[in-house]
Amino acid sequence: MSLTLVIGNKNYSSWSLRPWIAMKAAGIPFNEVVIPLYLPGSKEEILRHSPAGKVPILIDGGEPVWESLSILEHLAERFPDAKLWPSDARARSHARSVATEMHAGFVPLRTHCTMNLWLPPKPRPATHTPEVMENLARIETIWGECRARYGGPFLFGKTFGNADAMYAPVVARFHNYGLPVKADTRAYMDAVMAQPAWREWYDAAMAETWIMQHNEPDWPLVRGKPVE
Amino acid sequence: MSLTLVIGNKNYSSWSLRPWIAMVAAGIPFEEMLVPFETPEFKRAAGPAAKVPLLIDGDIRVWESLAILEYLAEKFPDAQLWPADVAARAHARAIASEMHAGFSALRGHLPVNFARKVMKRSLTAPAAADVARIAAMWTECRAGSGGPFLFGTVFGAADAMYAPVVSRFLTYDVDVSRETRAYMDAVTSLPAWRQWCDAAVAEPWIYAEDEIDWPQVHRA
Repeated sequence: MSLTLVIGNKNYSSWSLRPWIAMKAAGIPFNEVVIPLYLPGSKEEILRHSPAGKVPILIDGGEPVWESLSILEHLAERFPDAKLWPSDARARSHARSVATEMHAGFVPLRTHCTMNLWLPPKPRPATHTPEVMENLARIETIWGECRARYGGPFLFGKTFGNADAMYAPVVARFHNYGLPVKADTRAYMDAVMAQPAWREWYDAAMAETWIMQHNEPDWPLVRGKPVE
Repeated sequence: MSLTLVIGNKNYSSWSLRPWIAMVAAGIPFEEMLVPFETPEFKRAAGPAAKVPLLIDGDIRVWESLAILEYLAEKFPDAQLWPADVAARAHARAIASEMHAGFSALRGHLPVNFARKVMKRSLTAPAAADVARIAAMWTECRAGSGGPFLFGTVFGAADAMYAPVVSRFLTYDVDVSRETRAYMDAVTSLPAWRQWCDAAVAEPWIYAEDEIDWPQVHRA
């Protein structure tokens, strides 16, 4: 039975990136439907697929599964060979804790550094608030501990899994907003960004044309240039 | 091997209620370690993310209410914390995750406070939208499963995730349909609910930021 993943714009939709990159990295085939967000009719179009009215949505056998984290749980069950969660029970509980901490947390980082792959990477000090720096410190601790304990290059070893997928948008935020990260953090970001799946998402985001002004911190500059 | 669940004050800690009520309702034995917020014990006990709840199983530490529920579901399959059917399980996880990361308007406007005297608080538009979404979701789940709980006759992980919402609806006298009220009654009839409630109202700690009537503190 074929899977369909309904997502928002690739440049901005951080939550959509999570299941998308997990599925691509694991080689799980799916059809993709992109609904550009915050346009007239977007909301209605999303609600046609899921009662929660939010992307991403995985459609499996006609049934919608919404919320990035529950989509990842569903995929882990359906494709056990993809090893989206670690096979060791202790490591798996650790992976779920850090994935869930991301799912509901780090609001300052998400608010001040909205995902935007078009942004020319450079420090934007106005977005480096004390609360954002606290989020950065906590995330660096999580990543550092995971990679030290399980050997890297990804959070739980050699396989890019659900925990990595949950933090993929954070990699983009750290990169584009030029947060002052440690060398070890940068090494993790490089490992994620070196993946073919990352590159594929990035290229598609670059080709998009929908502009969301409220997610453009350099406005009236977009992609580093005055908006036309 | 014995389990320990580290929780915050029962009167205010909505997130602590979730794994606690799931474990008590499922008959999973554990030791409870209650650490009041803003105390040195809290800082010592609250684990790597500095948050409660925290489940300790030997040398394993699991934090975040939803991750704890997943851990318990794996460790105690007979408790049926998730539905056995794969589509129902995906549905249960979707609404559990929706709760985990969402409904911030409702949570901010109606903080969990078991001991507060029941008095109506009028809803902001975003909080009212959250209430409507939750009521629709509960109704859909119970219509599909036959109730009385969201996914049938077992109080499971999805119900546990929404247990604090039941408390919010009650404390602030939120207008709900008969159908929604029937679900709330099913949850509040659980002995585990009564046990938590009794302990919550007996607590001495008061936090101004969770008392919406501050400097008044209304108690039943």
